Amino acid sequence: MEPEVIEAELVLPTYFSFKKTQIYEKYPKGQSSARRFKHLKQIIQAENIQSYPPDEPNYVNIESPPSMHPSKRICDITGYEAPYHDPRTKLRYANAGVFKVIRSLPSEYVQRYLALRNAAVVLR
Amino acid sequence: MPLHPTFPLPDESISAFAGAMCSVVVLDNGGGLIKAGHGGDLDPTAVLPNCLLRPLSSKKFLHPDPLHSSSAAALDLTSAAVRRPIDRGYLINADLQRDIWAHLFANHLRVSTSSSSLLLTEPPFTLPSIQRATDELVFEDFNFKSLYVADSAALVHLYEASTSPQGLVSKAQCSLVVDCGFSFTHAVPVFQNFTLNYGVKRIDLGGKALTNYLKELVSYRSISVMDESFLMDDVKEKLCFVSLDVDRDLQLARKPGWDNLFRCTYVLPDGVSHTKGFVKDPEAARRYLKSTDESHLIGGTIIDVEKPESAEDRKRIDLTKNEFDLTNERFLVPEMIFQPADLGMNQAGLAECIVRAINSCHPHLHPVLYESIILTGGSTLFPQFAERLERELRPLVPDYYQVKITTQQDPILGVWRGGSLLASSPDFEAMCVTKAEYEEMGSARCRRRFLR
Repeated sequence: MEPEVIEAELVLPTYFSFKKTQIYEKYPKGQSSARRFKHLKQIIQAENIQSYPPDEPNYVNIESPPSMHPSKRICDITGYEAPYHDPRTKLRYANAGVFKVIRSLPSEYVQRYLALRNAAVVLR
Repeated sequence: MPLHPTFPLPDESISAFAGAMCSVVVLDNGGGLIKAGHGGDLDPTAVLPNCLLRPLSSKKFLHPDPLHSSSAAALDLTSAAVRRPIDRGYLINADLQRDIWAHLFANHLRVSTSSSSLLLTEPPFTLPSIQRATDELVFEDFNFKSLYVADSAALVHLYEASTSPQGLVSKAQCSLVVDCGFSFTHAVPVFQNFTLNYGVKRIDLGGKALTNYLKELVSYRSISVMDESFLMDDVKEKLCFVSLDVDRDLQLARKPGWDNLFRCTYVLPDGVSHTKGFVKDPEAARRYLKSTDESHLIGGTIIDVEKPESAEDRKRIDLTKNEFDLTNERFLVPEMIFQPADLGMNQAGLAECIVRAINSCHPHLHPVLYESIILTGGSTLFPQFAERLERELRPLVPDYYQVKITTQQDPILGVWRGGSLLASSPDFEAMCVTKAEYEEMGSARCRRRFLR
């Protein structure tokens, strides 16, 4: 290329031997420049993470693992901290008032409360 | 490739080499804010949101004003639509980023890209396809002469080591950088200016998630603000703080009236007399700091804060109902960083995350790493963040180790300052990948130089 052309910084389609598709093939001149972009989730899907060596860190496995502390027990009805748990219905409750309520609940409702925290018994 | 003679970098003079070098653009391309400036300067030339905005008054997406700008015609950001090139910390929309950078280089920095080098920060473990797109952007769209991709944690370490040459960080050459930014939080061990890849841990929580959580809480309890990201950002920055004892503070937050230390009122913009929201009574908003003093808790009475004389006095500006009260939201929002389980996330909190990051390093490094924890990133600006972290960390760390948490003077700019320091070092040109190398070898081979 002549030096004056390079200096003028004219937009020349450059060819890169290391690329499969050149940038001027992907986005031809004269067409709308609205490139489609992928979201991060799609990029990760396309990345084929499973083929990576498992002992090497990458985006997916540097995530902070779940906490080792026991999780807080929350009353299923009121949302307060629940020191007790009812062995018959498996619901957690905060105090005696709530206990009266849960003993009077029909079992269908109990199952729905349990389902809220993924503890319901599912029969298949 | 020009090879400079190598000699040690003097710690004290940041700008000594700036004149001799050709211009280096230092760009900390964060998800929330772009920090950009010339290598060797002490502060970045421009700090602006990394997004395009469409306010209600406009049909086109506009470039945002830089922060701290005093232009009279500031955009009214009420219900503005936002487009961001960065999703969860990673650059996905190169097209949009090019628009933003072109505007930045032309109007704020006023550099010609083809005659300067670029120092760019990237989050750890950027996916290869994103790296390729970034290289394309830098070399093919902007024609930069050369590129250096830096790790933000290593830059923070470099900056901290240079500010206190006698400190532990610079003597031991290792530190644990906790970068709590807009998109996510990383705990990164750094050893001799290199990130220890196997020790990096990430929590998918950052300033954006916190703002969204605050939006949800306020929308549920008082007034719908789901569209007002910028307004709620402002509320979060001005009013939120980290509680030192959540259970106690939740009890306190239930008290009625003036006894409630946490209650404060935020006035929404009305679009006529003020286009920005503000805290109604900034004095009262700071009363929570008194609650750390345990003495008055027993009696339940608040001492040494005098009540305003009359209700009139406090309601000076209350002409309309365009305001909302915040009580326990103020500390429950930053609490998420310490207990992500409360949001339903199956990830450990920040303190456990730090312990895990350190435990995956060599045991000889543990004592030094615990003693040189550096907090950086905008989300560490919440008041009492460091105290709370220390209180959570202390029970998790063996008692024969010291725990010392260093906060940065300006956590938002910490990464940029490290980059500026690196760009002004005499070896910088030799570490870069030049355009010629890129054209010959391509992206993947060039990236190996940055050990990524």
